[in-house]
Amino acid sequence: MSPLRLGALFRRVVAEIRRDRPSLALLFIAPVLVTGLLTFILREGQAPAVDAVVVNAMGAPGGQIESALRTALEANGGSVREVADEAAASQALRDDQASVAVVLPQPGGGAPTIRVITYGLDLSGDANQLAAVQRALLGTFAGASGVPLPRIEHDTLFGTPSDDPMANFAPAMVGFFTYFFVYLLTGVSFLRERTGGTLERLMATPVTRGEIVIGYTLGFVLFAVLQVAILLGWVLGEVSVPSIGPLPEFSLGLGVATAGSPLLAFLVVLMLALGAVSLGIFLSTFARTELQIIQFIPLVLVPQFLLSGVLFPVSSLPDVIQPFVKIMPLNYAVDGLRQVFVRGADLSVPELQVDLLVLAGVAIFFATIASLTIRRDVA
Amino acid sequence: MSSESSVKPAIRAVDLTKQFGDLRAVDDISFDLAASRIYGLLGPNGSGKTTLIRLLTGLAQPSGGHAEVLGVPMPSRANLARIGYMTQSDGIYPALSVWENVRFFAAAYGVRGTDPVRQALDIVQLADRAHSISGTLSGGQRRRLSLACALVHRPPVLFLDEPTVGIDPLLRVQFWGYFRDLAANGTTIVVSSHVMDEADRCDELMFVRSGRVIARGSGDAIREQAGTADLEQAFLRLGESTAANR
Repeated sequence: MSPLRLGALFRRVVAEIRRDRPSLALLFIAPVLVTGLLTFILREGQAPAVDAVVVNAMGAPGGQIESALRTALEANGGSVREVADEAAASQALRDDQASVAVVLPQPGGGAPTIRVITYGLDLSGDANQLAAVQRALLGTFAGASGVPLPRIEHDTLFGTPSDDPMANFAPAMVGFFTYFFVYLLTGVSFLRERTGGTLERLMATPVTRGEIVIGYTLGFVLFAVLQVAILLGWVLGEVSVPSIGPLPEFSLGLGVATAGSPLLAFLVVLMLALGAVSLGIFLSTFARTELQIIQFIPLVLVPQFLLSGVLFPVSSLPDVIQPFVKIMPLNYAVDGLRQVFVRGADLSVPELQVDLLVLAGVAIFFATIASLTIRRDVA
Repeated sequence: MSSESSVKPAIRAVDLTKQFGDLRAVDDISFDLAASRIYGLLGPNGSGKTTLIRLLTGLAQPSGGHAEVLGVPMPSRANLARIGYMTQSDGIYPALSVWENVRFFAAAYGVRGTDPVRQALDIVQLADRAHSISGTLSGGQRRRLSLACALVHRPPVLFLDEPTVGIDPLLRVQFWGYFRDLAANGTTIVVSSHVMDEADRCDELMFVRSGRVIARGSGDAIREQAGTADLEQAFLRLGESTAANR
């Protein structure tokens, strides 16, 4: 082993990275930013305030429970309001005027069964709400001697409560991975177009910037369509393969239940993918190497991963972060997919309409700025 | 042959200037270039040849002055259908086949059908490699493919930026054969090069140094002007006298 050669190699590597300023900045800044954001979410993430509506069919004892529940929830910034019946409670949930409904049953013998109804789209967010109500209710009953502890039954306005963790995670996963791979593929391809001299050459033809962006979008969306079709088939499907010889029986596919149309889920992901293509083209302007395209991931994709309800319920994110959640395209895709998967939403559902419109708007916005980055005056 | 002509020039530059920060890459260049001739832009690396070509093709916006190609002020997107541009880098898609590359650029220029593609490949003698993946071609074959992509739409004006750089002498001779045939068929060709021994293949030369045209004329006229039989010496002498006069 030659110290001369080793020294030369070492110096070459250091000099090369030292002169790649963007890589250097991202190398040091990106991990600090990402771990800082993650720590902030975990430390400042709030037990969400519970705004409950109570349907009291229990009479006077129910009034005491409601009062105790109010004391407990208001102590944590929540509220309790009584409504006439379950229909009114459902409407309050639907109108986002309550995060949870508590139905106190008519008095009968034995332990009462209290139904706690949550919205049902974000199951991990719902679990936080449910836990807060459970704590408050059990505290109430534990304080009253001689009263049998109630059974608490969880119900959801949309979908059904599921023990399958994938029911909550699958829509987010489908959205995120499509976004991730389409961005990466487009970013790297377009960077090659810029650095390989073909864009320069292309701009010396009558091709317009709009044609380039739309042509790229069509090309990449074709593969995004195939990717999403395979991913949705894998996530939603479950094919049982019988035992063959020494091989035991097994099943292919994740078998996640969906209440809505897979085609509608497909549409949501497609809109997301359209935005990802343009994002890739746009960000390729700021990269000189493929490594730099990859280095944008912690700055562009990881925050979306953390702030779009993929890992953490949006409702539990710190207040200061909430405005950023509203500008994350992935947030609308994850919500749209949950509307379809869990709620079984169709195109008449306003929330899904909003999600699709925002995703379309994001795609058009990035397509416009991407086309502005393709100038005849290329380097 | 004289460059002066009563007919409209194929290419015109009027006070063309391009400034990059403190650097004046193209410095107040004016000329008229007649049709069906081969013009050589000669000068060392960094002298402004590529920037000048990019201004003439409309790929760069001038800081001052203007350019016209075939009587149309540049930049003009529509006029690009009548201009061919072979970039200094190959500018081809390595994952596509030879045929697919040429067909793609044909479509980009608005050319339909397979005949123009076939003819372009015949001109650069790559028809037998039509289905080869471009990334597997030799350096010389890639340059030929690059040329085919630039002339598939049969443009009346062709800009070739260092077309013969890095290719062997035999292929260089072939390339100049193509250029001569194209010019004979009415194409106006502007070839940039820093190789002086290619100069005599051009009908007319423009020596470019520090963003300026320091001499223009046939090879013989420039030799005579510089008082030397060697073009390389002529370039150096003319460069020195220009620097002294500035």
